[in-house]
Amino acid sequence: MTTDIELQDWREQWQSETSIPADLRKSVERQSRLMRIGLLGDVAVTLVIGGGSIAWAMRRGNAEFAPVALAAWVFLAAAWMFVLIANRGLWSPPAMESSAFVDLSIRRCRSTLATLWFAVALFFAEIAFGLGWAYTHSVKGHIPLMRWLLFGSLRVDIVWIATAVFLGALIWYRRKKQMELARLLNLREQMTGAN
Amino acid sequence: MDRKILEQQFERILAVQGPALTRLAATYTNTLSDRDDLLQEIAFAIWQALPKFRGECSERTFAFRIAHNRGITYLSRIRAQATDPIEEIDVHDPTPGPESNLSQRQRADKLKEAVRRLPIAYRQVIMLTLEGLGYKEISEVLGISESNVGVRLTRARQLLQDGLEGRK
Repeated sequence: MTTDIELQDWREQWQSETSIPADLRKSVERQSRLMRIGLLGDVAVTLVIGGGSIAWAMRRGNAEFAPVALAAWVFLAAAWMFVLIANRGLWSPPAMESSAFVDLSIRRCRSTLATLWFAVALFFAEIAFGLGWAYTHSVKGHIPLMRWLLFGSLRVDIVWIATAVFLGALIWYRRKKQMELARLLNLREQMTGAN
Repeated sequence: MDRKILEQQFERILAVQGPALTRLAATYTNTLSDRDDLLQEIAFAIWQALPKFRGECSERTFAFRIAHNRGITYLSRIRAQATDPIEEIDVHDPTPGPESNLSQRQRADKLKEAVRRLPIAYRQVIMLTLEGLGYKEISEVLGISESNVGVRLTRARQLLQDGLEGRK
């Protein structure tokens, strides 16, 4: 068999399967809705936490609650700023060439891994502020700090459980992203090494 | 751009390129359900990208670029590379014999499986060639030079022949 006849034969075999899933259009509509909900979710979380802290401080009507509302907005602003800065230059035309897309995916992955350290720092800053404020305004003078932090109340215990869950999830996500990065680097090597 | 026009354009791309995109998704996945999931992601990515499409390339190039990019993202997320046989399709010929004895379907399945087992760089080039794209269009999809397309295609055909003849 000559090569061109062979290629033509392969083409016919290859293109003989012409089926496509029936509900493709509907699934795209479903995904579009989910994505809109996801985007609205980020804004909603910001408004609920930020707005909720202001409402809470105003309802208490006491100046000492104002720093909590202010801190909530500072932490939210810091999170948004960092996400925007970390993603700077990583937005792209979705129909870019494959080789450029792999490079971009690698940069995105590295950026995400860098962002995780910021997430840890921000989380502990929030915990430190929250616990510090709660101790100063509620139990200072009654219970020593260390005893309060370790056996103070159910609320403090919940904070530690949430911290453990958060750190566990973060470690899992970091490993996942590291594996993704390793696979992308491997793919790039395969794609560039084949020339 | 008017949503109605976008929807029409999207419907047209799915109608014209749908079967090719389905075959492309199959080269990146191990199972039919994974193939369908990837195809959904590809279709969604095309829908999202359509408002920014200004006709710098053909609709086919546009769709294939997005499809390959989604395929690469899929490969980066899964644990194992696509080297296991597709579970729902029996690619083994129960009565090995001359090529003429194989049914068209079996030969097509065998070809599909052999393509899927190629290293990614060769898989992409041969797949696009089998879809009927020329060197120029393949180079536009993958971002490599036309001479590279030629080099890869030659090697891909060798590997594919080996795979089909069970030499590798």
